[in-house]
Amino acid sequence: MNTRPLLSLFALALLPSALCAQPAPVPPPATQAIDVKSGAWEGIVNIDVSVLVPDYREPWNAGQPSGGSGTGFLIGKNRFLTNAHVVSNATRILIRTTNDPEPHPAKIVHIAHDCDLALIEAEDGSHFDKLKPLDFGGIPQLNTEVIAIGYPIGGDRISVTRGVVSRIDFRPYSHTSVDSHLAIQVDAAINPGNSGGPVMQEGKVVGVAFQGFSGRVAQNVGYMIPVPVIKRFLKDIEDGRYDHYVDLAASDFPIENPAQAKALGTNGDGVGVMVGDVEPQGSVAGLLKIGDVILSIDDNPVMNNGLVRFEGELMDMNEIVERKFAGDTIKLKYMRDGKKLEATVTLKRFDPYVRLGAQYNQRPRYIVNAGLVFQPLDRNLMDAHQMRDDTVNYVFDNFLTDKLYVDRPEPVVLTNVLPDEVNTWLAPYAHSIVDEINGVKIKSLKDVETALAKKDKPFIEIVLLEKNRPLVLKRELAEAAHKRIMQTYNILEDSYLGDE
Amino acid sequence: MKLTQTLLFLALGAATLPAQTPAPEEAPKKKRAPAAAEGGAVAHQVVQNNSLVRVNATSQPFSLHLPWQKESPSGRRGLGVVLAGNRVLVTGQMVADATYIELELPDKGQKISAKVVAVDYEANLALLESAPSDKQKAFFAGLKPMAVDVGTRIGDKVDILQTGRVGELIKSELNIGKVLTRHYNVEGSGFLVYEANNIVRSEANSFTLPVVKGGKLVGLLLSYDSKNQVTTILPAPIIEHFLKDVADGSYEGFPSLGMELQATLDEQFREFLGLKPDAPGVLISMVMKGGSAEKSGMLKGDILVAINGFAIDSRGDYKDPQFGPLSSSHLVRGRAYVGDKVEIKVIRDGKEVTLNGELTRRKPDDYLVLPYLFDKGPRYVLMGGLLFQELSRPYLDAFGEDRRGGAILRLSHVASHPDKYEEEGRKKLVFLSLVLPTPSAQGYDKLGGQVVNKVNGKTINDLNDLAEAFKNTKDTVHIIELNDFPHILYLDSFSAERDNMRLLGGAYRIGSLKRLE
Repeated sequence: MNTRPLLSLFALALLPSALCAQPAPVPPPATQAIDVKSGAWEGIVNIDVSVLVPDYREPWNAGQPSGGSGTGFLIGKNRFLTNAHVVSNATRILIRTTNDPEPHPAKIVHIAHDCDLALIEAEDGSHFDKLKPLDFGGIPQLNTEVIAIGYPIGGDRISVTRGVVSRIDFRPYSHTSVDSHLAIQVDAAINPGNSGGPVMQEGKVVGVAFQGFSGRVAQNVGYMIPVPVIKRFLKDIEDGRYDHYVDLAASDFPIENPAQAKALGTNGDGVGVMVGDVEPQGSVAGLLKIGDVILSIDDNPVMNNGLVRFEGELMDMNEIVERKFAGDTIKLKYMRDGKKLEATVTLKRFDPYVRLGAQYNQRPRYIVNAGLVFQPLDRNLMDAHQMRDDTVNYVFDNFLTDKLYVDRPEPVVLTNVLPDEVNTWLAPYAHSIVDEINGVKIKSLKDVETALAKKDKPFIEIVLLEKNRPLVLKRELAEAAHKRIMQTYNILEDSYLGDE
Repeated sequence: MKLTQTLLFLALGAATLPAQTPAPEEAPKKKRAPAAAEGGAVAHQVVQNNSLVRVNATSQPFSLHLPWQKESPSGRRGLGVVLAGNRVLVTGQMVADATYIELELPDKGQKISAKVVAVDYEANLALLESAPSDKQKAFFAGLKPMAVDVGTRIGDKVDILQTGRVGELIKSELNIGKVLTRHYNVEGSGFLVYEANNIVRSEANSFTLPVVKGGKLVGLLLSYDSKNQVTTILPAPIIEHFLKDVADGSYEGFPSLGMELQATLDEQFREFLGLKPDAPGVLISMVMKGGSAEKSGMLKGDILVAINGFAIDSRGDYKDPQFGPLSSSHLVRGRAYVGDKVEIKVIRDGKEVTLNGELTRRKPDDYLVLPYLFDKGPRYVLMGGLLFQELSRPYLDAFGEDRRGGAILRLSHVASHPDKYEEEGRKKLVFLSLVLPTPSAQGYDKLGGQVVNKVNGKTINDLNDLAEAFKNTKDTVHIIELNDFPHILYLDSFSAERDNMRLLGGAYRIGSLKRLE
């Protein structure tokens, strides 16, 4: 909850003079000293980003210009790896090496928000041709030394900090706040600006620094994205497209209770975890049921707390699914009513959860009609509008838990009523979920467009969820007011429904 | 809404001394000097003093989260009004969860214990009595009953009465500025309220304060907002209604229609509903199951135009002969009694229809989610460390507005929209509220907030069902089906019983495994 991305704020303007200075002094002799003259560090670059943060309150506006700075590193010919959060919502990306003041414009090749990784390239890559890409290592052992290299706050030149591997665990990734993957905790100082920089051991990259805790919460806790997650990303994009993570979309509940173990038929050997919930649109929908016991995934026995021993470490059983790609299969052994069953499951992405997390690089979608602003419900909207309405909060909070997405994949919120004579009585109903318009059930923003296009009745009738009266506009008055409102409130386009 | 209520409650200074004094650092000093001066000035004209008694009550509510135990006791002080028959009127708040109540003569300091004869927490009124004895006779000998005056009008000057240290009368004069309807200290339909502006002095006994005019009772202080100097008063017409109801021997309470209405001021909405521009009436947007309105034949979508001959305007107000425009809810709630006939006129499909019905009251226990709970402990069943309760408003409110997420948000949503659950036949919403660490509940200790659907195959409509269902296990395992993740719990019936025995009188000081009365 308290983790934060390590993107440093733009306020620290880079001083060109500093960039012309001599190479950074070599750190005191250490086992992992890097030969600076060999140019091994030249591949670790500063990424300077101009950002336009979308405005979900006035979705027709461009948004708020901002900026930041992070780190990236060369992993192949003109291919720099960094964090997704470093280059999210970027309007301009500039790459600088530590020994060269020249900014090199760059662009995103692939971006994966769910694992906070991005691949960028310089528009003219020739400058980097001579640089040596960094190589990847594996998962480092606990209590072994690592160094974090990057451009964190506190100066302009490249920085190095040292620490040990403290913990290897499945952790939430704070960029979207809804994705969890393997993450490695290190006690090397990792600060804003380190984001996207390599964490190295014996000259090889063992992770990408990406998040930490505020000093008020915990000390010396930094996290890096480990190599399996990086490699998965790089493999996923080999076909020129990022397909996202796949998910079982089932929740497991530990079998710790003796009566539960007996009732479910596990014989107390510590194998098997109970299925506590199954998403009706996920990979195992129609296969697994609540109360089933998952015994193994791809022949890795699943323990009663949902862990598997995988590559020598105890990990969440989802880690096996994590390594797979859309369309891949897994072999599931499970038990139902005491009978052992086996199935092969084709994995797919589980979409409904995406809107519960922060989303980036998207223009906010909306429809304005007669001053009524309709927007799809997602985390960005909730954060921007600070919704207090009970129904909106309930629907957002229980979108998955109460399976509300099945009925209403994209809830639409009446977010604002831009005051005008025509809608003056409707203002109190802003921040309501739209149930129906003109008799059409609203399951997505597109439905709002379809419903508003129905002109067979003299009134536009909007039914709100859990509000006891419909909102009614006389069609001729609404149509006359629409243009006037668009002008008054300086709205150029009355809708943006996305690129389709 | 909720926030302002809480603030008002604090300003009124209900429960604790520090809360009564809005600015503790300067209030005591300021208070001393004028108190002496005023006390001296009025000492000669102690006129109404002989109708007032101090009331000291000790309140001790049950714990909502650990329902087998009680919270720490706290004291409340107020001024009661002596009525005919040596009965004393106070607010309901004053005696809520009371363990001990005593009356005290303001001047002499003589004390006598008292019991609640009748209480209505919705109307926030209670009537106290002391058991007949010589002491009781002596106590009331010098006291004179006060009459109730229901004739107050907007613009009237009234006095809030308080007593000083030695019983001297302290008056604060107020002007009645507004008459409206608002719910009192529990959620529900609105009651009549007088609103007045002026400064009210802060004295020690501020829980119940009488408001008088010309020696007659016109109301009891409900709340005082010291920042805006706004006082709300529980008015005499509601007090009179309460007293009449008590007098006939069986207390029925205040009736309600059980419906929701929507104003029709919006011209486009009126046209949509087929209402003429200047015609009266409001839209009926909800008719509660089992309520007076439903029984009279009212339907959702009707346009309500009159109740008992009073026209209802497009705000939902009627013109009260005494107070002017006032919410139509007062026509039923304040001006009629349970069992009275009611005549309602609605427009349905363009035609006027007259509905005749009889007024009823929906009792707290008729609600899926108990709206309030005083004097009794929350119902619960404890089984092998799993604590089951019935969802109530006080339980949810105890979490506060800010901490509403996850299970509490989901349960709050059920409380606001109980229809679906009521249609399923549920009388109460049973949920797993807490798991105590016991061997039989091993693995379940992080659960809490899950609604219970079935136990051992039996549908659970209230806690009695649950207690019954636990008596019938299959293969010595209780199967508990929940509405939420993880959906199924298994509990060994033998080890659960063993844990039950250990819990009784154990570390958690549990005296009983259930409360079902």
